[in-house]
Amino acid sequence: MDNLDYIENYFTKTPTADEAGEFEKRIGSDPEFAEEVAYYLSVLQISREESRNQQKDNFKALYRDNRMTAHIPVSKLVYSLAAAAVVVGLIFGVYIFVKPVPIQQLAGQYIQEHLQTQGVTMSAKSDSLQNGLRLYNEGKSAEALRTFEQIIQSDTSDFTAKKYAGLAALRMKDFDKAISWFESLETYNNLYANPAQFYLALTYMNRNQSGDAEKAKQLLQKIVAQDLEGKETAQEWLKKLD
Amino acid sequence: MIYRRILKEGNIISVLIHIFLKLVERPTIMNSDSTFRYTDQEIIEQLRHSGKDKRRSEEQLFNRFAYFIREGITKHGLSEDESFNAYSDTLLAAFENIKNTHFEARASLKTYLYQIFHNKCVDLIRKKTTNKNSVHQAEAISDKMMLLTDSARSVVQKLIDKTNWEQLRAKLAQLEEKCRQLLMYWGESYSDKEIAALLQYKTADVVKTSRLRCLERLRKLYKPD
Repeated sequence: MDNLDYIENYFTKTPTADEAGEFEKRIGSDPEFAEEVAYYLSVLQISREESRNQQKDNFKALYRDNRMTAHIPVSKLVYSLAAAAVVVGLIFGVYIFVKPVPIQQLAGQYIQEHLQTQGVTMSAKSDSLQNGLRLYNEGKSAEALRTFEQIIQSDTSDFTAKKYAGLAALRMKDFDKAISWFESLETYNNLYANPAQFYLALTYMNRNQSGDAEKAKQLLQKIVAQDLEGKETAQEWLKKLD
Repeated sequence: MIYRRILKEGNIISVLIHIFLKLVERPTIMNSDSTFRYTDQEIIEQLRHSGKDKRRSEEQLFNRFAYFIREGITKHGLSEDESFNAYSDTLLAAFENIKNTHFEARASLKTYLYQIFHNKCVDLIRKKTTNKNSVHQAEAISDKMMLLTDSARSVVQKLIDKTNWEQLRAKLAQLEEKCRQLLMYWGESYSDKEIAALLQYKTADVVKTSRLRCLERLRKLYKPD
């Protein structure tokens, strides 16, 4: 015990030159003391190894527990998740962008955006027509329709009144009447611009009964092919309907 | 700048991912087990002190870079056991260097650990050994042996070479738990003050006396009179 204390002091404190000389002299001359020094160092070595083995065993248990997740570093996992989220987002975005839009939704959107108000048009019966348009713009579609029909009764060739009568009927969702008025516009061949085909397509789309989608599509294709009024919108809708 | 460069390359997805990663990057983040994940600096501080935080940091560091083991298998062609041992030895060496302040934190812990791990793997490949302790053998006493002159060292080394390691290990295991634990902390270069705190001894002096008694007890078991 005394020797062990002496040996430990030598290795843990800085010995003076004399102390070091004395210590090494004993190693050379006293085999038992030399063995004690060797023993002290051996135990130090084995204690360290045992401690390390114990730590390794702890690591092994940790590794076993986390084996399933330990293969991928967190940063790589986050990167993978981020990439996956972006890909899913893109796929979803593309799906939203290219998925077919319901035909009725397209028509309703168009009516909402373009047919809520009409500019005042000058004509021979300007007062009545303007009155009808005022009613139309105020959202009084039924009264506006009556006004336009009265104009048509007094002049059965009034293209503008028929057009607005059809639009007022369309806004009232009186689709049969709207179709009837728009079909009557088809006979006006000498006009620079006749939206009859376009409004008919719009009405079929908005009604969306059995066979209406097909009729609307054929009309839209005709508009595009013959470069008729509403060609650009027809092209856009055809893309969305495909 | 990096965004402009990436955008120039037309890779908008990379930009989005980069921004996302910047957003989630924090100095201290939550681990999957809902415990805090320490920063490099926090781990270094805790490894330099004894106690529960030290053990927690060691385990967290082990888990954080445990994927190195797979890299040892795929990149260096080691078996799983070999790669695991290389990784364990890497951490043990790093713990010691951090404790002795040999690690100056010029590089990140990851870079530092990977460098050690790579060297351990290369070592293993070169030696082609299955002795799991070979990497550290004799490290504990090498610095102490250097305190002796050549002639004294030669005498002591010859005696150490005669040590029956298996028997000594077996006798160490026969000591009572506290004694064994005390010697293991001593082997890991814990100071007597640290050991006193860990094993609830009253003072560092009591630790020293107890250690010498344990050494004596072990000697009697190892070399009975």
